[in-house]
Amino acid sequence: MKTAPKSNTVRVMLVDDHPSRAQLVEENLKAAGFEVLSVISSATGLLYQIEQHRPDVVLIDLQSPDRDVLESLAIVNSHSPTAMVMFAEEDDPDYIRQAVNAGISTYLTEGMNPEKVRPVIEVAMAQFRNFQGLREELNTARTQLEDRTLIEKAKGLLMLQKRITENEAHQLLTKLAMNNNQRLRDVAQTVIATLSSLEIRK
Amino acid sequence: MPDSMRLPPAEISQLSLGYMRLTDAAPLILAKEFGIFERYDLDVTLKREVSWANLRDKLVVGELDAAQLLAPLPMTTTFGAGGIRGNLLTGLSLGLNGNAITISTNLWESLGLRYPDSQPNALEIAKNLAKKLNDRGENERLTFATVHAFSMHTFLLKMWLQAGGIDPDKQLRLLILPPEQMCDSLARGIIDGYCVGEPWNTVAVEQGIGTVVATGYQIWNNAPEKVLGVTEHWHDTHPATHLRLRLAAMEACKKMTSPETRQSIAEIMSLPQYLNLPSKLILPSLTGNFRFSKNESPVNVTGFHVFWDNQAGFPWRSHAQWIVKQSSALLGKEISEDDTIALVQQSYRTNLYRDAARHMSEPSPSQDYKEENRHASEWNLEPGIQLGADLMIGEKESGD
Repeated sequence: MKTAPKSNTVRVMLVDDHPSRAQLVEENLKAAGFEVLSVISSATGLLYQIEQHRPDVVLIDLQSPDRDVLESLAIVNSHSPTAMVMFAEEDDPDYIRQAVNAGISTYLTEGMNPEKVRPVIEVAMAQFRNFQGLREELNTARTQLEDRTLIEKAKGLLMLQKRITENEAHQLLTKLAMNNNQRLRDVAQTVIATLSSLEIRK
Repeated sequence: MPDSMRLPPAEISQLSLGYMRLTDAAPLILAKEFGIFERYDLDVTLKREVSWANLRDKLVVGELDAAQLLAPLPMTTTFGAGGIRGNLLTGLSLGLNGNAITISTNLWESLGLRYPDSQPNALEIAKNLAKKLNDRGENERLTFATVHAFSMHTFLLKMWLQAGGIDPDKQLRLLILPPEQMCDSLARGIIDGYCVGEPWNTVAVEQGIGTVVATGYQIWNNAPEKVLGVTEHWHDTHPATHLRLRLAAMEACKKMTSPETRQSIAEIMSLPQYLNLPSKLILPSLTGNFRFSKNESPVNVTGFHVFWDNQAGFPWRSHAQWIVKQSSALLGKEISEDDTIALVQQSYRTNLYRDAARHMSEPSPSQDYKEENRHASEWNLEPGIQLGADLMIGEKESGD
């Protein structure tokens, strides 16, 4: 990981609605040697924050509704001390695309060398991606758990209806899945739906 | 409807189309829900975005193929004003008007005006507001918000204030806020009012926190508002897909002339994946039976949304030129006459509209520019081309 020059540290402000993600990004930025001035969850009071801290760079979640607010600061608030332009002023479409895909938008003070800011964005981008990854892992784990519960329930119903062993019930489900070219989870769902309705009709 | 077999085949069929949570996204949602995109062999995924900046950036980097855009965005993004730079263009306007100005109930009551049984007189209210402001003292300012710096909302707001005798440069503090924060800020007294697209005026009226004092139509009859935007690169590499997309959107705009369609689209738009708001908040501006204040009965309004009639889909270069002038004033940067013309010609592609209109066997204007603030009612530009009124508030004839 690249680090910022110790003298003349880049001063970063972070606007993010996800407190846990913001914390991760902040820690990593600090570890990489950047000065994180403040972390705010919404641009309410953004103007005040910027006047107070005068950041070199503002990192903001792409999905934040406050981005129009942030962009307007340089245009409609002539008293705003910080003129901000998007990092994308640099003609590097791939880099911009990567930032957009990672979910981050960057604004920096006019006159600031984008190359100096690049590592800040790289840290943030990596962290945004990691956070997304963590979330996906969690979702996958949850789905797997749900699948297992469904399959267990279907097996139980089959054992009760057909008076077969657990092993036989499992084999039956697997066979059904193969014959119908379906996932085990989907077959389990069908079995539960069918057998439960039989149960009701009795 | 043109025979889609006669059209050149689409270069790609799967498209992502961005839109904002606004009533005038109706034609795009309609084209999706009524299967119009499908008939043009387009598999369109509609993506709701949270800010104009986000919509624009995703369009520029290619995350979206096309998007509903504020009418100024093709020019300001091409010019690089205030954010990511990229060559954007449009070949279709997605409708005229659609905005309104709302002021806080407190400010409205302090004006001591009564609502008439018809549409309120926007100019009279602005004049009263000016008087009230001048009475308060020399250095007093009004705080108003719009949703984006480069928007018709900003320009219309300034026109309305100016018509009443308020100097926007000295007596207005302009903020940019997301629509949701706007109602909240109005209720808490942080702002005096705002100019925003529907349903965000009706939301304030229904909550009893705001009173609508002017419709966009009253400020400038049939002003430009939203366009269907793509990047120049995307257009150059997908001309046939772009044609099909425009044709589908135009068919949807044409369907929006039917009151029954407007009723049913309001129901669809209320769904969680679209506006996620009760249809009673979406209907007023679509039906034109509009409530200006919580305690008043709704009244009939003129031209709140015009999606098709009077060449509403034509991307007038005179509109674009006017927008560039306003944007350059806002930026405080001079844009030369030559640069303006070049920018306008690059961003507003009148011939793309004409191509699509030909395929639909619909007439289209032969010229790219028209005069504004001349006509108080419908008029004929040339044989077969009827245009709407185009008056602006407070200049020459009254805009009401």
